[in-house]
Amino acid sequence: MERESLDVDVLIVGGGPAGLAAAIRIAQLQSERGGEPLSIAVLEKAREPGAHILSGAVLDPSSLGELLPDFVERGAPLAAEVRRDSVYFLTSRRRLRFPVTPPPLRNHGHYIVSLSRLVRWLTGQAEAAGVDVFAGFAGAELLFDGNRVVGVRTGDRGVGRHGEHKPAFEPGVDVRAPVTLLCDGVRGNLTKQLLARLPLEGRLPQVYALGFKELWDLPAGRVGAGTVVHTLGYPLRPEEFGGGFIYALPDNRIALGLVVGLDYRDPHFDPHAAFQRLKQHPMVAGLIEGGQLVKYGAKALPEGGWYTIPTPYADGVLIAGDAGGFLNSLRLKGIHLAIKTGMLAGETAFEAVRAGDASAGRLAAYRQRLDESTVRRELYPVRNVHQAFASGLATGLAYAGVALLTRGWWFRDPWPGEAGHERLVKRADYYGSDPPPEDASANAVKPDRLTTFDRLTNVHYSGTRHEEDQPSHLIVHDTDICRTRCIREYGNPCTRYCPAQVYEMVDDGQGGKRLQINASNCVHCRTCDIMDPYQIVDWVPPEGGGGPQYEGM
Amino acid sequence: MILVVAEQRDGAINKASLEAVVAAQQVGDAVKAVLLGGDLEPAAAELARARVEAVLTVSDPALAAYTADGHVIALEQVIAAESPELVILPHTYQTRDFAPALATRLGRPIVTDCVGLGRQGSTVTFTRPMFQGKVLADVVIEADPPWLATVQVGAFKAEALEQGSSPVPIVPVKVEIADGAIRQRPEAPFREARQAVDLTRADRIVAVGRGIKGEEHLEIARGLASALGAELAASRPICDNGWLPMDRQIGSSGQTVAPKLYVALGISGAIQHVVGMKGAKVIVAVNKDPEAPIFEISDYGIVGDLFDVVPAIIKELSA
Amino acid sequence: MQIAVCIKQVVTREAQLRIDKGHAWIRDQDASYEMNEPDAYALEEALGLRERHGGDVVACSAGPARVGQLLREALARGADRAIHVEGDELGRADALTVAGALAGPLRSAGVDLVLTGLQSDDQGFGQVGVILAELLGLPYATIIMDVEVSDGSVRVKRELENGWFQWVTLPLPALLTIQSGINQLRYATLKGIMAAKKKEIRKVAPPARPETRQRITGLRVPERAKQTHFLEGTPAAAAQELVRRLREDARVLTED
Repeated sequence: MERESLDVDVLIVGGGPAGLAAAIRIAQLQSERGGEPLSIAVLEKAREPGAHILSGAVLDPSSLGELLPDFVERGAPLAAEVRRDSVYFLTSRRRLRFPVTPPPLRNHGHYIVSLSRLVRWLTGQAEAAGVDVFAGFAGAELLFDGNRVVGVRTGDRGVGRHGEHKPAFEPGVDVRAPVTLLCDGVRGNLTKQLLARLPLEGRLPQVYALGFKELWDLPAGRVGAGTVVHTLGYPLRPEEFGGGFIYALPDNRIALGLVVGLDYRDPHFDPHAAFQRLKQHPMVAGLIEGGQLVKYGAKALPEGGWYTIPTPYADGVLIAGDAGGFLNSLRLKGIHLAIKTGMLAGETAFEAVRAGDASAGRLAAYRQRLDESTVRRELYPVRNVHQAFASGLATGLAYAGVALLTRGWWFRDPWPGEAGHERLVKRADYYGSDPPPEDASANAVKPDRLTTFDRLTNVHYSGTRHEEDQPSHLIVHDTDICRTRCIREYGNPCTRYCPAQVYEMVDDGQGGKRLQINASNCVHCRTCDIMDPYQIVDWVPPEGGGGPQYEGM
Repeated sequence: MILVVAEQRDGAINKASLEAVVAAQQVGDAVKAVLLGGDLEPAAAELARARVEAVLTVSDPALAAYTADGHVIALEQVIAAESPELVILPHTYQTRDFAPALATRLGRPIVTDCVGLGRQGSTVTFTRPMFQGKVLADVVIEADPPWLATVQVGAFKAEALEQGSSPVPIVPVKVEIADGAIRQRPEAPFREARQAVDLTRADRIVAVGRGIKGEEHLEIARGLASALGAELAASRPICDNGWLPMDRQIGSSGQTVAPKLYVALGISGAIQHVVGMKGAKVIVAVNKDPEAPIFEISDYGIVGDLFDVVPAIIKELSA
Repeated sequence: MQIAVCIKQVVTREAQLRIDKGHAWIRDQDASYEMNEPDAYALEEALGLRERHGGDVVACSAGPARVGQLLREALARGADRAIHVEGDELGRADALTVAGALAGPLRSAGVDLVLTGLQSDDQGFGQVGVILAELLGLPYATIIMDVEVSDGSVRVKRELENGWFQWVTLPLPALLTIQSGINQLRYATLKGIMAAKKKEIRKVAPPARPETRQRITGLRVPERAKQTHFLEGTPAAAAQELVRRLREDARVLTED
């Protein structure tokens, strides 16, 4: 079968807030300034817009208001206005409320939203403006002409698990465009390809966190819609970065979650178990008792801040949203930055296409726009915060306080940072002579299947579905390392950090263990690609359409 | 009066038709059965032993081979003559082929695939599964009688058929079938080797999980399946390993089944598997772990090593 | 050949179903929808027949506004045009109502063949196709595994119970209900999706609801009233007790 080819004016990879904001912005400029109508194509790997995206989330509506000033009239799905904001420090049994909510965590004027619903709605807005959104198409490979990005090749469809072509086989399509916007999210696979090929990396390596989220339906009257709670402390130790959140939605539904830094030291630490422990804390347990789990999901977040952001352009290409690391980890907000950077990338792309020049020189205007915008004004002052937390909770909080006053100035600028997976300590070094068994979790919890669950049950609640008969999309380049080195050195941490039980070490029938990959459980969080201590795991998109079903998330 | 449309092939009544009579007997006292075809004597005689008022036989050359049109034309006339309150049919492939057309010709809705019938005074409530068995719906028909319904095969127990004290009258009925009225021209049915096993039609299933430990141990499960007259199936990991083909997989990414008997060997009961089999009538689980979730949904549980328990069961079955 | 395919939009199979407050339907806010699987095979069969015999494929569906998305998908896979009988309640109406809604536009469409899936994955009535045939006055056959078109007639392979099959010949125009697995589903291509935007979706108002209908009075998730009997003792003792119970209490060891 011949490979199809499609030419468009602007190609956007990723139908999330960044990609859709870019598309809408271009369509708006097109409409304002007239001229030859531009074909704008968005590739989205989920079968349906919004299916693969999730976030807490509390939305700062400023950039949405810039993009679509009448977003309320247009029916933007804003679940609840934030009414009450509080921060607690938790110990294993108790909670201590912060007397004052720290300014970055103040959410007055913000909205609790379902990002998945918001993206569904934004997709409708984009399509109404004439944008082509192709759902179920994953961007598999960047197309280059020399070092210029000329488009994207989508993934093949109809390939069997041993690589054979099934009757419905179709090769991926080459979508070519003068300018491609990479909005493929945290640790985006195409952005990763670009950064591997061109010298665009930021000053510091990117650092990530893994966010878990569940939606719960509760008995009536437990908590009022619009309540926002953030927690620090338990179940995380001072050496572990992160915190919990509870956002109250209408109709007695809550979003409940835990964000865990993917730079922890203990190789036997189990982030999923930590999330279960959060739910066992009296404050949370009392809240969800008698409730019903509706949905589960997990995804990584880019937390490194300003210095980890790569050069967001090159010949023929721009990077926006989480793919570029545009997230404010102090405010715990990235959606408004995704929208804003998407808009700025869109404006830059529009001009480049109209000028017939999408070279790096022309696209550098994007960086200038970023520097002159709220993006820099917001992210630059907190540029060292996340790196400060790497020295511990107390240091991080102290620095964050100082940074607010000094607008980020510090003696060491940038505060040095390293990649999260490099901070993982070997078992022998962390535990000395008496490490736990290789397959043990340091913080294991026995699930009660009422409020706490095992991973497999959770995956069921993520609605994840993949075509079963396809090759594994988790590419582990040398599985011998898993069973000979990693098992001793780190105890196969992938079996603990994957929120979906994709990785298991099973008996190989010869007295040892081998890696088993349950690819179809994958919720596309990217943690394995990020955290593998040997960096031999590549997450690539599975056959288009497959993945979680994050309705309402 | 409740009219049951029974089905026969080559002189034998199928079990599903007897189940339909049972369903009728549960909601009414006056039941009649009707048979259509060519030579109906042996089948009619079998039905006549049940506790019904009469067995109507509609014998006509045009009905010798089943056609949708033939059945609709004939039954429309029978129903007009008999004026039943309720018409019950077994939800077989044949019934599905003509019953909705019959109902439409009578200007009525038909409630298909019922697993329960209930009478409250002059109303009948029909209970049927929806969303692939995940939900049960109670339905009423908003129309004057006759009400039409089909009953799910296996939902009613043929063993519960009330027998009559003596055979009831077999009444031949004449119908008018105009020349050319039957538009279908059927050929003789034939059997074909099935390409893939269809677990959804198995009455009994023996399923294996991780507890079986190795491909070489599948024999023990096959032995039990054979002794029970059951199909062999598996949970996900077994098929992922290639020990059994994917069409034997039960669960959210495989088949959903509701057999009479489901024996789960060495299966923990992860929700992905359970959603595929919890509709089974009787569930037996054998597992070493007393806290395995499978026991929560089982009728009978044996906590033990399946390598000891299964041979013991096979031995007991052949005794 | 003019071929019409009736397709239904149903909640995805993975959906966690919860009953709504009125106990008359499921909670479907946020629900994800997909094309009913047997209907997808019916559509594919129609496209295959068009490839072999030439002609035109029109995709039809009855339901609320969201059904437009489903019809776009059918157009993207290759249908030439679509008909949307739009009505809020049609997504959960009974088979007689739905068939009545589809019959209207199909009556005047001059089709040679109407294909539907054998039943829907949500309500599972398995009736719409046959009722539609009756309303349109078409000969029909159900649960079809193979279709051979000749001049003025069609010969089709019906699936029967237990591995039995039967070929039946019908004059055209006719209606067939299609069994899953009859063919290989094709993907909707990028070009197909783009072309779909230019294809016609004709909106039609539904007729008045029929006087006679079915009504759901209650909906519930079946709970197993489960009392697990643990059989104790040695393997031999437990096995003996189990077989006795299966034979005498549960009565699942009897032959068909």
